[in-house]
This record gives sequence, C-alpha cells and structure tokens, in this order.
Amino acid sequence: MIAARVEFATERATEFVDITDRIRDEIRRSGLRDGRVYLQSMHTTLGIAVNENEPLLLRDFQGLLERIAPAGAGYQHDDFTRRTDIQLDEPVNGHAHCRQLLLSAFATLLVADGELLLGRWQSVFAVELDGPRQRRIAIQLDGEFARESRHAPESLVEVELARQLMVDPEAVAAPMRRLVEAGGKRLRPKLVQLTAAIGPRNDPLRAAELAAAVELLHNATLIHDDYVDESPYRRGRPTVAAAEGPERAIAVGDYYFAKATRLIAEIGNPGVTSAVAEALEAVCASQIDDVALRGAYPGDRESYMRVVRGKTASLFAAACASGALLSDAPPEVVGALRRYGDLLGVAFQMADDMVDFSPSSGKPMGLDVRQRVLSLPLIYAAEDRVVGPEVRQLLAGTLGDKEVGRVTDLVTSSEALPRVRKEALELIDAAVHELESVELDGLRPTLIGLARAAVDRSS
Amino acid sequence: MSVQVLDRELNRLEGLWTDGLSDAYRVYLDSVGHFTPNVQPKLALAAALIEMGVRLQGLGGRAAAPTTLLMGDLCLARGSRLLADNAPLAVQVAFARAVESISSAAASEQPAPATRPLLQSALGASR
Repeated sequence: MIAARVEFATERATEFVDITDRIRDEIRRSGLRDGRVYLQSMHTTLGIAVNENEPLLLRDFQGLLERIAPAGAGYQHDDFTRRTDIQLDEPVNGHAHCRQLLLSAFATLLVADGELLLGRWQSVFAVELDGPRQRRIAIQLDGEFARESRHAPESLVEVELARQLMVDPEAVAAPMRRLVEAGGKRLRPKLVQLTAAIGPRNDPLRAAELAAAVELLHNATLIHDDYVDESPYRRGRPTVAAAEGPERAIAVGDYYFAKATRLIAEIGNPGVTSAVAEALEAVCASQIDDVALRGAYPGDRESYMRVVRGKTASLFAAACASGALLSDAPPEVVGALRRYGDLLGVAFQMADDMVDFSPSSGKPMGLDVRQRVLSLPLIYAAEDRVVGPEVRQLLAGTLGDKEVGRVTDLVTSSEALPRVRKEALELIDAAVHELESVELDGLRPTLIGLARAAVDRSS
Repeated sequence: MSVQVLDRELNRLEGLWTDGLSDAYRVYLDSVGHFTPNVQPKLALAAALIEMGVRLQGLGGRAAAPTTLLMGDLCLARGSRLLADNAPLAVQVAFARAVESISSAAASEQPAPATRPLLQSALGASR
C-alpha cells in the first residue's frame, strides 16, 4: 500500500477541478500495475465525482446543486445564535454541507496494466462547494506494483533529464530544473520512446537520451515563448522570464536549444539529427507567423492550421519519426509515424485551446484570450452568426477582466467548443488510420490510446 | 552556393542579408576551404546565421525585443539545420558547445567569449 496526497487551490465558490492527471501521475510514480486507487476528500464541503469534463455539462451540475440546496435558504447551521463553539471565521455555508451530502466524499478507481481504468468520457473531479480554499484529497494505492518501477521507460527519461541538468552551470540549470520538475505531460518523449521500440534496433537507453533531449528542446522553446507572450505562469509556477528576467530567460533558452541539438547529434544517427533540426526550424518560423497574426486577431482557420502544424505538430511528428529512425524501422513505418505525429500534434493543440474555456482545468480561464494567443474555439466563435459580432467587437478593443470574462462566456455558449472537439477527434481518427497499414510490433494499441488520451483531457 | 539555394535558405531572413549577414558569410567562407566544395557555402552560411542569431538575441546585453528574439531563434534553428544536413559530427558538436558557452556566460552575467573566433574554431573541429 502506498499513500499520497493531492493538494490544490480552488478559485471559485463552486468549482469542478479535474484531478484525473494528478491521479495518473501518482499511479505512475508508485509503479502500481494492477489494483485500486482509493480517494478520500479531507473536507466536509469538498465532494468527489466521476463524470464527463464538458464545460456546459459542468454548468448543468452546478445549476442542479444550486437548485437543490440554494445558498442562504435559512439553514440552521448558519444560525450562529443557536450554535456553540463558533470560530471567529466560521463561514455561512449550510448550503455547501448539504450539497456535499448529495455527492460522495470517497471513490475507488481501478488500475490495469499501469493505467487508470476510465471510460473514454470519464474524468475524476474534486467538487469544490465552498471555495475558494486550499484543498486536500488523500490517496491510497493498493495492488501489484512493478518490482523495478525505477526502470520504467518514463523513469529512464526522468533520470536522463536529471543527469543532464546536474552537469550544467547552475545559472542555466536551476531555471530549467524548476520548469522540468513542475511537470508537463512528457508527450514528446513518450512518443520517442514508443516509436524507438518499433524497429529491430531497440535500445531503451539511447531512446531515453533522445527523448530527454527532445523534451529539453521543447522546454527551451517554451522559455522563449513565455517571454514573447509575456506569460506570468507556466505549469502553475512563474515563468523563467517572470522569475529571472528576460535576459536570463533568453540565455537559458539558447543554452538548452544548443545543448539539446548537441545531445541529439552525439547519438550519431544523421537521420534523427536532421528530422529534429527540420522540426525546430518549423517551430521557430511558425512562432514568427503566430505573433504576426495577432495583428488580425483572432485570425482564420487556415492561418491557425498553418501555425499549429509548424509550432506544435512538427515536433510531435519529429518525435515519432526520430524514434522510429533510431530503431532502424523501415521507411514506410517512419513515414506513417511521422504523419500520425503531425495529426496528433494538431489535435493536441486544439484540445489545449479548449482548456482555456474549461472552468475545471486547474488553469485560469481566458488566459489565451487575454494574451491574444491563437485559438481555434475563438476563431469559430468569431465566425458564429449569433455571438460572432460581439466577440469580434470585444477582441478589437482593450481586454480587461470584464471583456475577457464576456468573451469566454460567449465562446462557451456558442457551438465553437463542440465544433473544435469534433474536429480534434476526427484528426485522432485520421492519426489512428495512419497506423493501420504498417507493422508496429504490437505497439499499435498503446499509440492509439496515447492519441485518444491526448485530446480527452482538461489540463 | 547557387543563387536559388541561397535564396531558399534566406527565406524570411532576407532583411538580415544587408544587415551584416552577407559580410559574416564572406568571412566564414575563408574558414571552410577544407570541406568539399558543395558544402562550403552551406557551412559558411550556417556559421553566419548562428553569429547573427546570437547577435539578435542580445546575449550578454539588454534583452532583445520579442520579435527580434524570434528572428534570432530562426537564425539559430536554420543554422543548426544546415549543420545537421551538411557538417561532420565534430563540427555540429563544436558549434553547439560554442553557443552553450556564450549563453551560459550570459546567464551567469560573465563576459561572453567573442562569437566569431569561437565559430571559426568550430568550423575547424573536424581537421
């Protein structure tokens, strides 16, 4: 049995916080292969629920709770003249306790083959009923654990990342270490490792070296992006530019840009080196296009696709192709995986765009709108016959809290999000189709699962 | 390098050609004579782009404006890709180490080594 805690801060009175990825992280860290995860809310006004993470549905749930147990409806718990042992900061929250009674404070989830067993549309929520507050959920993991979970492929990448950061000058290593340790989905390294096991030359250590270098490269681009976008936070922590200043951020990004390039070259496979170098060039060129497009914000779908193909999908495609090349996979397999990665990358970015309009992602809503970041839901909302004129008018002016809030409301009330979701799922189907005609040494189900998981998320 | 190839490699960076990139290119041409003739101009251009990238980033000085930084990133990325496609492994590694030393000095607020001699030395790494 292994125990853990999930801690988080809520921002609103009622809030559905998607903790699915946090639980998956705990499973991965523990090495649990087959068994159960027990969750228990440590609060009397925090519930646990398993349901679909769809923004409008979450509003329905909130409406339901408000109808059944409205705030200020004369709860005896709120009558402080009749209660004893009242704290000075005792909240008026009878409604929140009553709402919690309708939910559960516990959940048991199954784990099979190291994966949380959830249906395609299921997410695990902590349901805040009396926020904003600091919250805790206790977790226990029970069952069969991998004997050497330290040597799981993901662990090899983490060890390699730590090893590389250990030998670097502290002035560059410390900011990068903070960024790397703050999390991230590690999708690109996962793709490298999976595809590196497909061909006849399967070397997990070399694959981990390549995967870690690709992750460092990705993080280096994020450091520069955050400076360009003036983003205050990344992965819940201050960005390198915000914490250390732009001069340091630029230098740290450049250092890891160069170092990752060197690590990849030193692997000694020219095809791999070229594949990643081409992708990096596409990322940089698209970043210029992205910034240029902000003059015509929110832009159109064609421009969006062009930027996303370069900025996001190119590195996904390169991760897939480079892993396959490393394992000496046949050219048709490399080609199919490259196309799979490209489609997956675009779908991933679309799903990421939708997170900005999800009240339960754990990230502040409307951040992309505020920073005028290219976003397909916003493009579709601006084209919408009903909400489009108001969206365009708001985006043409100064975007303060009120305007950003109104834009996010308009986007979520339009057909934009379902339209983007449908498009992302179609891209995933197309990506999966690419895998059908080639021999993948039994890894097809894993690649399909990874693709589906990449768009079924909220954070 | 043919005019067409040069044009392609300068796509989006044309404005930099008259802003020091062509001068740097000509200087680096003198350092690539030991490579086969077909890769000499590509490696000279790679070195010039990386020198230009470092300059645009403002490493060791005031931070570049965001749009300038992105141009610098593209210079570094294109130079890197030219090296990946045309340079021996030792040269690729030497270039990367050169940028690592310049950027780590900048991050540590130490005087950065001069870029051009470092890159000229990197071009000689396979000799």
